[in-house]
Amino acid sequence: MSDNTVILEVKDLCKSFDGHEVLKGISTTIRKGDVLALIGPSGCGKSTFLRSLNLLETPTSGHVLFEGTDLTDPSVDINQVREKIGMVFQQFNLFPNMTVRENIMLAPVKLHKMTDVEARKEADELLARIGLSDKADAYPASLSGGQKQRIAIVRSLAMNPDIILFDEPTSALDPEMVGEVLSVMKELATTGMTMVVVTHEMGFAREVANRVMFINDGVIQEENTPQEIFEHPKSPRLRDFLSKVL
Amino acid sequence: MKKLKQRLLCFFAAAGFVLGAAACGNASNEAGETNAAGSATETQATEEAGNEAAGAVLSVDDLPGKRIGVQLGTTGDSYVSDYESDGSGTAVERYNKGADAVQALKQGKIDCVIIDEEPALNFVEQNPGLRVLPEEFTLEDYAFVVGKGNDGLVEAVNAALGELGEEGVLDEIKKNYTGTEEEVGSYLYEKQDVERSNGTLVVGTNAEFPPYEYYENGSITGLDMDIMQAVCDKLGMEMKIEDMAFDSIIPAISTGKVDIGAAGFTVTEERKKNVNFTDTYTTSKQVIIVADAGNAGAKSSFADKLYDNFVKENRYLYLLKGLGSTLVITIFAVMIGIVLGFLIAVVRTSHDRTGGFVILNGICRLYLTIVRGTPVMIQLLIIYYVIFQSVNVGKTLVAIIAFGLNSAAYVAEIVRSGIMAVDIGQFEAGRSLGLNYKQTMSAIVLPQAIKNILPALCNEFISLLKETSISGYIGLMDLTKGGDIIRSITYEAFLPLIVVAVVYLLMVMGLSRGVSVLERRLRNNER
Repeated sequence: MSDNTVILEVKDLCKSFDGHEVLKGISTTIRKGDVLALIGPSGCGKSTFLRSLNLLETPTSGHVLFEGTDLTDPSVDINQVREKIGMVFQQFNLFPNMTVRENIMLAPVKLHKMTDVEARKEADELLARIGLSDKADAYPASLSGGQKQRIAIVRSLAMNPDIILFDEPTSALDPEMVGEVLSVMKELATTGMTMVVVTHEMGFAREVANRVMFINDGVIQEENTPQEIFEHPKSPRLRDFLSKVL
Repeated sequence: MKKLKQRLLCFFAAAGFVLGAAACGNASNEAGETNAAGSATETQATEEAGNEAAGAVLSVDDLPGKRIGVQLGTTGDSYVSDYESDGSGTAVERYNKGADAVQALKQGKIDCVIIDEEPALNFVEQNPGLRVLPEEFTLEDYAFVVGKGNDGLVEAVNAALGELGEEGVLDEIKKNYTGTEEEVGSYLYEKQDVERSNGTLVVGTNAEFPPYEYYENGSITGLDMDIMQAVCDKLGMEMKIEDMAFDSIIPAISTGKVDIGAAGFTVTEERKKNVNFTDTYTTSKQVIIVADAGNAGAKSSFADKLYDNFVKENRYLYLLKGLGSTLVITIFAVMIGIVLGFLIAVVRTSHDRTGGFVILNGICRLYLTIVRGTPVMIQLLIIYYVIFQSVNVGKTLVAIIAFGLNSAAYVAEIVRSGIMAVDIGQFEAGRSLGLNYKQTMSAIVLPQAIKNILPALCNEFISLLKETSISGYIGLMDLTKGGDIIRSITYEAFLPLIVVAVVYLLMVMGLSRGVSVLERRLRNNER
């Protein structure tokens, strides 16, 4: 599915919080169409790694290159880059004071990507795509977790990003709602969207991702295709981890 | 009148509830008045008070060990202070206004009031049951007060006073205010038609001291004022009167806010250290007012009091004008508070989140510490007397700036707590969509923060509205001061205070109601 265009290139990324080293030198390349699943025990640094990709966390050292632009260069306008990097959060983070449609329209209109009319049309199309057209004028408080997360996904889609980062998108959901969110993500993957997903859903990683990265203790312990990772794990740490979550 | 009375009775019910325990004693006395509003036969509270006081004050010799009321900063105050430290247990109660001291005497809170003779006679006339002891407390000379080093003005005023004395003008003015019954009011000084090319003489006074200076029909008049006008006519100067608290006049002269003080200043050695006195222009006495148990006279009816306090000479206009100032000050101060408060809050939170604005954040913190660490009254006085010492700006503007700057500090911390209470995820969601810091703040975080802090902000503005009641300290006529002026004219504490309180209460209730409607509307948005 992936072609050769490099979307993200990470070089020797390190991140410490108050002297505590969370990421100890991570390097990888993400190409267009990649669906990269990040797995690993909690506290291993996979969320920090993900958040470093759009500089929500500032790396202590190392480089993140997005389509050739080094995001760690202070002269780079990070806001402009972020327009192209979507992000979906564990806690959805919909804006509670706006309707669903306003949530989706906000960034495209504020950042002059679209006129009000265009953004409204786009929002309605996106809502139709996930089957939530009837919620356009509802406020987030009236929605279920699954609905909120699906809307959060299309909200990031409205900016027409080149890549979307998912930070444990189903961890805050009731079990019966996990499916609806994963199916939206699956559909997204089939359209060729580049995705990096921090997840505990091993089924999703196995089925949808084309690469799985096992992070442990701030380093990439093992990276491979889903089949290799799940069927022939090499490191004892990965085997131990899989035995606990599968 | 009857309808008005009924309405006022309703006010009393509300006011009694509001004043609650704090004014318990007062409220119960006055409730009696309310019930007997129409009758003139009720017994007075002062009667009991007079009987209770074991060993009433009958002469100067009785003063040691007694509770003596004086007006703060007056001659009486400085003389009586000697008693305080002689071990006899004398307690000196210092009031901002003579009228307050007299009110306290009527309620038996003090045993006597020492005050200048002329106002004392007025007080006694207006308050049956009080009398002035025949033996005076002390004799004193009145002179005008000029700043140290302004010898030119002292000489000029002395020369003018000398001429006026020779021409008999001084005597006429004195007769007009303090003479015999036939003389009073028949020697009105007419402002002369002269060329006034020598500038303006700013006269500081405390217009709560009849017959020397007081409000009549909305303007300040009195013996001192007429003499001052006569002096200005001699000097070819315009006269401008600044009304302020008595104990603010000498500081105002020292800082150059006013040129000359004319407020029945007694020549004392202590004052000579700080200011220069002109020649004496009149002599007065400090006398002792006591509550006379056996002589409780008939009291005027409630309707009469109402008429005296609000209708006569259009006195309600003092309240109306004061209310206007209070509203203007509050509204503009709120605006300054909101704008500046939000800016400070944003600087502070930006610093907390991004580490930027180091210097600006330091300035903001210093500002918050100073403003929140000192009383607003002191800030008001400092801004008026120190910061705007040499600049001539309107008092209303000074009050707006002082209250606005004060409010901004509180608003800033309220807004900051509101911003901090918005989930960090909201901020991250905005930033991850490509919005910059400012856009995220204004489009996402602040609207949510405002909703959360609305009740706290409302409280802040209610406090602000009430805090403006100290504007009188720089001589600004706000609602409270308007009530004070009526009190100083009618020597009646209760009615003006209650009406002022009710007006404040109504404004606060209106404000609270408006905000709760707004709050509900904002909340509905999220469902």
